[in-house]
Amino acid sequence: MTVHRSDRPLLEIQDLRTHFFTQDGTVKAVDGVSYEIGDGKTVGVVGESGCGKSITALSVMRLIEQPGRIVGGSVLLRGRDLLRVDDAEMRDIRGNQISMIFQEPMTSLNPVYTCGDQISEAVSLHEAVGRRQAWERAVEMLQLVGIPDPARRAKQYPHELSGGMRQRVMIAMALSTNPELLIADEPTTALDVTIQAQILELMKSLRERNRMAIMLITHDLGVIAEMADDVVVMYAGQVVEQSDADTVFAKPHHPYTTGLLASIPRLGEKRQRLEVIQGVVPNPLNLPKGCLFKRRCPHAMPVCDTPPPLQEIARGHLSRCWLTPAGEPPAVGPEATGELAEAAASALQAPA
Amino acid sequence: MATYVLRRLIQAVPILLGIAVISFMIIYLAPGEPIDRFRSGRVSPQTIENLRRLYGLDQPLPQQLLSWMVAFFQVWRVDAWGYSFTDGQPVITKIAARVPYTLELMGTSLFLTVIIAIPVGVLGAVRQYSWADKIIMVLATIGYAMPTFWLGLVLKFVFAIKLDLFPLFGRHTYGDDSIGDLVWHLVLPVMTLTIVSVAGWSRYMRSSMLEVLHQDYVRTARAKGLPGSRVLFKHALRNALIPIVTLLGLTIPSLLVGAAVTEAVFAWPGLGGMGVTAVIERDYPAVLAFVMVGGAMVILGNLLADVLYAFVDPRIKY
Repeated sequence: MTVHRSDRPLLEIQDLRTHFFTQDGTVKAVDGVSYEIGDGKTVGVVGESGCGKSITALSVMRLIEQPGRIVGGSVLLRGRDLLRVDDAEMRDIRGNQISMIFQEPMTSLNPVYTCGDQISEAVSLHEAVGRRQAWERAVEMLQLVGIPDPARRAKQYPHELSGGMRQRVMIAMALSTNPELLIADEPTTALDVTIQAQILELMKSLRERNRMAIMLITHDLGVIAEMADDVVVMYAGQVVEQSDADTVFAKPHHPYTTGLLASIPRLGEKRQRLEVIQGVVPNPLNLPKGCLFKRRCPHAMPVCDTPPPLQEIARGHLSRCWLTPAGEPPAVGPEATGELAEAAASALQAPA
Repeated sequence: MATYVLRRLIQAVPILLGIAVISFMIIYLAPGEPIDRFRSGRVSPQTIENLRRLYGLDQPLPQQLLSWMVAFFQVWRVDAWGYSFTDGQPVITKIAARVPYTLELMGTSLFLTVIIAIPVGVLGAVRQYSWADKIIMVLATIGYAMPTFWLGLVLKFVFAIKLDLFPLFGRHTYGDDSIGDLVWHLVLPVMTLTIVSVAGWSRYMRSSMLEVLHQDYVRTARAKGLPGSRVLFKHALRNALIPIVTLLGLTIPSLLVGAAVTEAVFAWPGLGGMGVTAVIERDYPAVLAFVMVGGAMVILGNLLADVLYAFVDPRIKY
């Protein structure tokens, strides 16, 4: 397969907006999200349930269902805007250049077709191969994902396999067409811890082998630490912090990220109480004015009534918070925040 | 599978016995007794007494029940189910003669129901809350709520009397055995039955399809890059049809027993019509046989549905 490799990143999500038009009002599930995934890179997307991380992924695949609709932005795959290609082209990209695996291996496979059928269906859809070859590829893929006795397993139905095995089948199906990007939406959440580790190892080794990029959606920071090159932290439909993984773990800037990291219990640590982030995610139909996190934020200040921009606080490190790069409250009053935002914006545009 | 079917058939015997006891008791408890139809001023009490003895009505109740049940299961004997009070024919012969007519009416209606209701239900589910869906649901609710005797009469009034397009009743014109004539006679009763059952089946199909369309594996199929039609027909419909098998199992008894009311309204010479006439005429042997055949068909229909499940759903094995 010849792939035109330009200087552009593999995937660029720019100001993506996906809204759900419910009877109670509009839910801005994804509201101006931008991030990039470079060739062969793994980007971890973290956040609580309902923060928009899965909706972002489904928007990239254009699999948003009613009453949801992508209302703005662009999703560039090697410079081509996926939101503007026609349905036939998009189908050609889905499962071929971009594959996706889901959280629930127990229900993500069709119960009335064999595993081999479901994998070879993806192969013969995207490649000009015969039935027999597609089936052989399916068996090869099952072998590749570490399923013992793959020829027999291919003839089995999903209910005859365990959850971990089914997730392997999903991975085999997703990778059978050698995608450039794998979107993994909480791939290990529904699995036992030991199986989780196996699946992560498998994804790592396949990532090396296929040199593919991964968008890894999870709420498990341990998984991120294990897998990700870059991290995107999302909150209430927005990106609140973004950087390489080391920086996010060593020097988190946004109070939400700090809270997430503090809430991980550590073995051997003598603590009476588990750290939690106070409060709950705001009602998406009734978001607070200004910073969406301010009601739960230990550092909330008057300036937080003005929505903070996503600004670069260090090279390659973005945060949507009024705190100074050092983590101090800004010295300026609320009236000066506009200038601060402008200064931040121009700093972002200035050539590095 | 064979052992499973055998086990189910053996289990059916006590159920059938239960049906026999209950239906016998219900008919026994109904006011009057079988020979009432022979009573009149010109029949002497002695004759009545002889008739009572002839039919075994002088025996104690358990004895009556037992002798009837013993006779009933001897289906190889033509007179096992007794003779009809109305025309003196053996009840078995009478029933056997009517089964084909019922099959032709009910089979046509079931076939049309399936080929209409499944696409209609799928359309309603795929375009949920669209105008098409709303119209389908309103019509289905009306159709479901409509009693067949009334619908049959209305159709007769409009199509047979006012427009004079179809015959009022019967299975064929006297002396005309052609297929065309049969079809012409079938139209109105089949329409009556089909309108009502399409209403029920399409609602069922719609909800089954809606449930499947929200399943994760449908999303997986779309994420693979499959075109919408393949997702719908290969991945969703196949699963949505599984519960429809239950409905099919419930429908099978009526294939043979017929639709009593519709057959009566259109004077269709099937089993259902016979059942209604037998009840009105207090034709005891025929009523008992009719109830028992119906009960046996329900048991067989359920068994058939369970066996079919194993073919349509790989998760079920016996």
